[in-house]
Amino acid sequence: MQKSVLQGHKIWSGTLLKTLLVMKLAIIIVLATTLQVQAFPTMGQYVNLNLKQTEVKKVLKLIENDGYYRFLYNSDLKGLKNKVDFSARDLSVIESLNSLFAGTNLTYKVLDNNLIVVLSVNAADNDKIKVTGRVTGENGEALAGASVLEKGTNAGTYADNNGNFTITVESNATLVISSIGFEPQQVKVSGRSVVDVKLVPTYKKSDEVVVIGYGTASKRDLTGSIVKVSGKDIADKPNTNPIASLQGKVAGLSIVNNGTPGGSPDIRIRGTVSIGQVHPLYIVDGIFQDNIDYLNSNDIESIEVLKDASSLAIFGVKGATGVIAITTKRAKAGQLVINFNTSYGFKKLVDKIKMANSDQFNTLFAQENLNNSISNPPNYSALTANTDWVDAVTRVGKFNTNNLSISSATDKNRFSLGLGYISDEGVIIHEKLEKMLLSFSDELKVSKNIKFGINLNASRQNNPYNAGSVLDNARKVMPQISANAKSFRVANPYGGDSINANIYSGLNTAMQTSGVVNPVLEVENTWNKNINIEYRTVASIYADINFTKNLNLRSTFYADMSNVNNRTYSPLYYAYNPMTNVPYLYGSKTQVQENDNSYKKFQQDHILTYRKNFGEHGLTAMAGFTTYYSGFFNRQGISKPYTTGNALPIPDDKRFWYIGNGFQEDATSLSSSSQAEYSTVSALARILYNYKGKYLLNASLRDDASSAIQNSNRHQKFWAVGGAWELSKEKFMEKVKYINYLKLKGSIGVLGNQAAPNTGGSSNYYPFYPNLQGGSSAVFGTYIYNAARDAYKVSQDLKWETVHSSEVGVELYGFNNRLHFEANYFNRVTKDLLNYIGLAQLGLDNEVTNGGSFKNWGEEFSASWNQNLKKDLSISVSGNITFLKNKVISLAKDIPGGYISNAFMNNGSAESRSIVGQPIGSFYGYTVEGLYQSYADILGSPVASAIGAYRPGDFKFKDMNGDGKITADDRTVIGNPTPKFTYGTNVTVKYKDISVSVDMGGVYGNQVFRTWGSLESPFQRVNYPAFKINSWTGAGTSNWDPLVSQGDRFNYNGSTYNMEDGSYFRIRNVQLAYDFQSRLIAKAKMKSLKVYFNIQNAKTWKNNLGYTPEYGGSATAFGFDFGGGAIPMITTLGLNVNF
Amino acid sequence: MALPMVIGSVGCKKFLDRKPLTATLSDINQGTLEAQSFGMYNVLTSYAGFSTLPWLDFHSIRDDDAQKGSSVTDGAEVNTEFETFQYSKDDWAPNTYWNDRYYMINLANRELYFADSLHATDAASLKNVGEARFFRAYCYLDLVRTYGEVPLINYYYTRSADGIRPKSSVSTIYAQIDSDLNIASQYLPVNWEVGGTNIYPGRLTKGAANTLWAQSYLFRQNWAQVVQKCNAVIASGQYQLADKFTDIWKDGLNGVGKNGVESIFEEQSYVGPNQTPWKGTQFGTSQNVRQGGATNAWNLGWGWNVPTQKLVTAWDNNDPRKASTVLFSGQYDGGNATGGYGATLPIYAPGSSLDQPFWNKKVYSDPQMRQFTGQIFGSGGADWINHRILRYADVILMLAEASNELGDGATAATNLEKIRNRASGNLGAGRSIVPPIAYVNQAQMRTAIKNERRWEFAMEGYRFFDLVRWGDAITELGSLGYTNRCRYYPIPQQAINISGGVLVQNPEW
Repeated sequence: MQKSVLQGHKIWSGTLLKTLLVMKLAIIIVLATTLQVQAFPTMGQYVNLNLKQTEVKKVLKLIENDGYYRFLYNSDLKGLKNKVDFSARDLSVIESLNSLFAGTNLTYKVLDNNLIVVLSVNAADNDKIKVTGRVTGENGEALAGASVLEKGTNAGTYADNNGNFTITVESNATLVISSIGFEPQQVKVSGRSVVDVKLVPTYKKSDEVVVIGYGTASKRDLTGSIVKVSGKDIADKPNTNPIASLQGKVAGLSIVNNGTPGGSPDIRIRGTVSIGQVHPLYIVDGIFQDNIDYLNSNDIESIEVLKDASSLAIFGVKGATGVIAITTKRAKAGQLVINFNTSYGFKKLVDKIKMANSDQFNTLFAQENLNNSISNPPNYSALTANTDWVDAVTRVGKFNTNNLSISSATDKNRFSLGLGYISDEGVIIHEKLEKMLLSFSDELKVSKNIKFGINLNASRQNNPYNAGSVLDNARKVMPQISANAKSFRVANPYGGDSINANIYSGLNTAMQTSGVVNPVLEVENTWNKNINIEYRTVASIYADINFTKNLNLRSTFYADMSNVNNRTYSPLYYAYNPMTNVPYLYGSKTQVQENDNSYKKFQQDHILTYRKNFGEHGLTAMAGFTTYYSGFFNRQGISKPYTTGNALPIPDDKRFWYIGNGFQEDATSLSSSSQAEYSTVSALARILYNYKGKYLLNASLRDDASSAIQNSNRHQKFWAVGGAWELSKEKFMEKVKYINYLKLKGSIGVLGNQAAPNTGGSSNYYPFYPNLQGGSSAVFGTYIYNAARDAYKVSQDLKWETVHSSEVGVELYGFNNRLHFEANYFNRVTKDLLNYIGLAQLGLDNEVTNGGSFKNWGEEFSASWNQNLKKDLSISVSGNITFLKNKVISLAKDIPGGYISNAFMNNGSAESRSIVGQPIGSFYGYTVEGLYQSYADILGSPVASAIGAYRPGDFKFKDMNGDGKITADDRTVIGNPTPKFTYGTNVTVKYKDISVSVDMGGVYGNQVFRTWGSLESPFQRVNYPAFKINSWTGAGTSNWDPLVSQGDRFNYNGSTYNMEDGSYFRIRNVQLAYDFQSRLIAKAKMKSLKVYFNIQNAKTWKNNLGYTPEYGGSATAFGFDFGGGAIPMITTLGLNVNF
Repeated sequence: MALPMVIGSVGCKKFLDRKPLTATLSDINQGTLEAQSFGMYNVLTSYAGFSTLPWLDFHSIRDDDAQKGSSVTDGAEVNTEFETFQYSKDDWAPNTYWNDRYYMINLANRELYFADSLHATDAASLKNVGEARFFRAYCYLDLVRTYGEVPLINYYYTRSADGIRPKSSVSTIYAQIDSDLNIASQYLPVNWEVGGTNIYPGRLTKGAANTLWAQSYLFRQNWAQVVQKCNAVIASGQYQLADKFTDIWKDGLNGVGKNGVESIFEEQSYVGPNQTPWKGTQFGTSQNVRQGGATNAWNLGWGWNVPTQKLVTAWDNNDPRKASTVLFSGQYDGGNATGGYGATLPIYAPGSSLDQPFWNKKVYSDPQMRQFTGQIFGSGGADWINHRILRYADVILMLAEASNELGDGATAATNLEKIRNRASGNLGAGRSIVPPIAYVNQAQMRTAIKNERRWEFAMEGYRFFDLVRWGDAITELGSLGYTNRCRYYPIPQQAINISGGVLVQNPEW
């Protein structure tokens, strides 16, 4: 301390005045008290001055000018600026000061070294000093919004957008400066008036504040598993759906992406816990949601994934499938911030499936006819094209996002406004999604203890036409058909004249009719005849009241209103017959179909929170009441024009694309509606307790009452208890220096799943109230009579299914927090599965009932390491891996056959079964040993006639049960759609202003069930996949690909032939970013500027034949490759600028 | 905080008291027996096992006079399963045929259970009971003819396990059919006329029950009962042979031509203008001319169930029914005289024109109806065509056959003549076209009646079962691959699977 004072002395002998003005008074005071101050200064100087109306400060300065004494003072001291008349003649300095300060509130103290401190007579004034400073990160970047607190008090402020702050504190105060993502730092003011702080990024997430549902808490106080992902990691990824960017980032979170613009991925947290709903609950700033399609990735502050019972029980009947909680951005304290970001890029189809070209088709078709002794096959030699139909329906799509946000915050008000525009083209021709997004939030602090706020998100979305089947249609068309249009002179289908028209080819109807269409013909003529606009507004208002320091009430009212209006016009258009080159009317009837869906959701939460520390006991108790209402209202209609007389078609003009367009024949135009609503009322409570901050207990309870369940079971209760022990706070751990934080944790609880059972194809919100079976009517002559029947039978004690969930885990930070490691073992048993049992096969009423149990268990590991290798070089590596197993424990008694079956394609040949003791949704079928090479081979093998007629070249199925014959009993589980493990990893390297970040990940150990190219319907003639060229054509030619013959239905049984390895490894995302240094951009008034180049799905290493290795699906039927689902590679260039 | 809680819990009950926003059964006061009966008619029209390809496969395509048709490569497995008798245990058509019948049986069981619980003895309810009994018998007759021994489910159950039963003997199944048709023939009305107007055309009647009953006795060769039941139908005076053979198949605007004088039971299909309302079936669509390589004006249907060369060759050209039953590719359709509409069909040339040389003319779609319904060009089809399930000509020929077997040659000849005379165009005695056949002896008359059934009912799905019951199947179908075990189809594997082993496969399969 002495040394620093001496240094200080040297400095102010150089630039005296300036130093004086900014002198840190407190240091001097400390000096005065710690050093044995001499009370006998040298009295060598005499003052001679005569001044009128001069500032005291100026007087002191003039005295100093005489050379000997130096004054120290806090320039904020009152009285220094007072103007006084002062005259002195040969007065000593001491005498002069006595005279000068007489009658003011100033006094002085003479220190050693001819130093005189000017003080206030009021001791308190001497202690408060104004401190300014700047908070920066490692690279000198301003940390806007960093909090600056005076330790031990409530006084504090925030850094503005340049990182600057000003705070008035005790001169001996300690400032605590913290910013999300950085290690908090404590700095002693020690009288300084400028305190610049450079924060070190934290890799220590144990103190992170996370959203826990109806509140927030420090992660340190929790016993559960919550993973937080920063909004930064999502904003610059080219995904319209923010959740898609989480793939591979969070242990226990499985995401199967969807290549359709705006399409929702298949998301499961810790396995498949239900037959019904498996997707998690989304909670956006408190409101419960089924999806977050309306959110702008750029508005997201953070995403929290809640996985275990102690985190989820508070969500009661909706908690079982896990929760993804999203917090949107709020204004941070500081100045006005304007952010603009934009990205532009391209989407490209990769990993295209290979279909036969025209030569291969000719060869294979000839083979097939030979195999079936067909001597008069259709002659299509007039068709000479060689079209790659996948190429014909795909393109390079363009991707563009633009976002502008403005935010500003003062002590009283925090305001932010965001605008976004996204244009997202798919790889399928003309497939395009456009989205406009608006977000607004404002929080007004009306008094110290009362705040009101509003959040609003609004979006308008132009959905693409439904291109879901285009890729599948494309692979089916024979390559000899041309994908190009030709010009013809044809009669105007809308009028009497004739017109020149570009007309696409129809199919060769002798070869392909049923189930096959020319996708180019249909898409080119109809893509812009669909108007599908979605509006959505999600808003909430809240009041936040602190009754006392410890007791807070927050009441929030939410509303989510949306409307999707979809109108489709069927135009009149031509195709030409490729065999005869004669055009014919392909779209021969006009009609307008309108489908209007409204969704209304309302929620209110009233949450009372009590926080207090009682000595070494810390307690946060919460109690709340919440209601939820969800309503869905659909109206649809079809408008058809008259068909008789001088009937006019509905014109190809958007003006008329409404049901009541004036052209419709009322008698044959139809309208209908469907609607449903449900509501819940819930009470909830939670306690977070800790003793000495190292023994933690979390407990929560929720009671949900739902309108969908009858009175007797209306209320269901869900609970969880969790405990944790922060070992690193124990004495015996102090010696273990390389461990900074170590926590053992465990939780157990019962969660609910309000999975609306899927009753015959659509979600049913009233499982207890069977509706009427659709379309049931009897006709006698031209009289129609309704035949009303219950759609299903319902059991009287129906209730929601429950998930009994437990986990144990360990969380560790070590090596100066450079290492983070977390491991969890979880076990989730679903009981009373809600079943919709289809018994029509038995001629019985279908039924909705509880029964059966699933178990999902596994381990999650995640680890990260961060290090600054050199001054300008840092690296961070993180990875996670999840091992997941699941099993059907039991099933409802009434399920026919004792297993849940989901079967697709060709009489259900592609089957997944959930069988007791086996993984959920296991693929089921025969095991292929090879092909019968000859009749001798057939005779020497077990008889297989039980399956059907067969011959050489057909599959040789394995006699699995060893009974000497091949029967249906030889089918077994042949694959599992759930990977043994999924993993993800990220490597980020920063060198000066450049950073490179690579996300990789994949899955291992699952199977994909390929249905295309092997299980087509006998009524479809489709193009052959290219690999069929290796098909069996005689003994020894193949032992895997059977002879080409649609008639050999023996080969159209699901088998190991359809099983493909679903393991894959993908470079999911590569990003190269450059942050411009502030000095370079300051002239353009920019505070920060980042440019980045991003490649998503850069490369996938996979083992299957489809477009992608990942296929979602329903709860018990997933992992089927139906010949679509391409996931494109997306290359974008973006920039992000702050003003 | 306490206050909103209290208010909340008071308001809760109302807030939570929500029922579906559409009618449930309790709201519309339905679920009555009448509605349940209507539900069975709906199954008859909308379930493929009764109304389209599976029915055609089992009843018609299997025989020697009809074949799959369509194109050479479409539905190729049907060639194996139904043309060459390599029956499949697990394929769409056979599974559907089985499942749909048991579905209907359980609907009938359910309705009968409700009727019983409600002690419904009013006249209307008894008619509904009669319908349920008829439909159950109708299904069991199909099942017993097709599979032989099958599980007898004649009770209502709610747990699927209770519906798993081993097979019952053929005689037990027939006993159930007798019991059901006995009740049905008592409870069903003679007709559904109210004030002279039939408000339920095509709805089940006493005549339908007796006709089906006669058919069931025919398969058991209980000739006396066949005679008795046929006579009961005749005596009711409700039916007569249509004047003109082609009139039986007319399906005109607003139902004209359907449910004609000869109709005893028809499955009802109705398609309005602009396909509104659409209450059709694909029975007609599945059999109409397939476009193949022709213009889409000839996209009339899927082209299944077409006449074979064997039928065309064997059939005397002088029989007018031939020109009314077989539609020839590349030829004029014969106009009104033979049930045509004045069009000329494209030639038979797979690949560039039509895929089949012959088509089933009994379902040849009326162009006026195509226009009226909008089932034309790209939307081609004939969903409005009724499936004639029971018609009076069958009663006449059953009576003839049974009388002959009982040694009553005169009655046999008289009834045979009714059919032949109508076939000739009512030219009367002394005609040379479809001339009268006098009774010579029982064998001669038996052959004549067999032939008459072949011509009269060609493409209608009678022949396979006729050949089996006559013992002629090996002779007529042997060259196609038919062996004795093929009289019965194997039980679908999926049904065996879900029975958990209680249901066992037919012994010869």
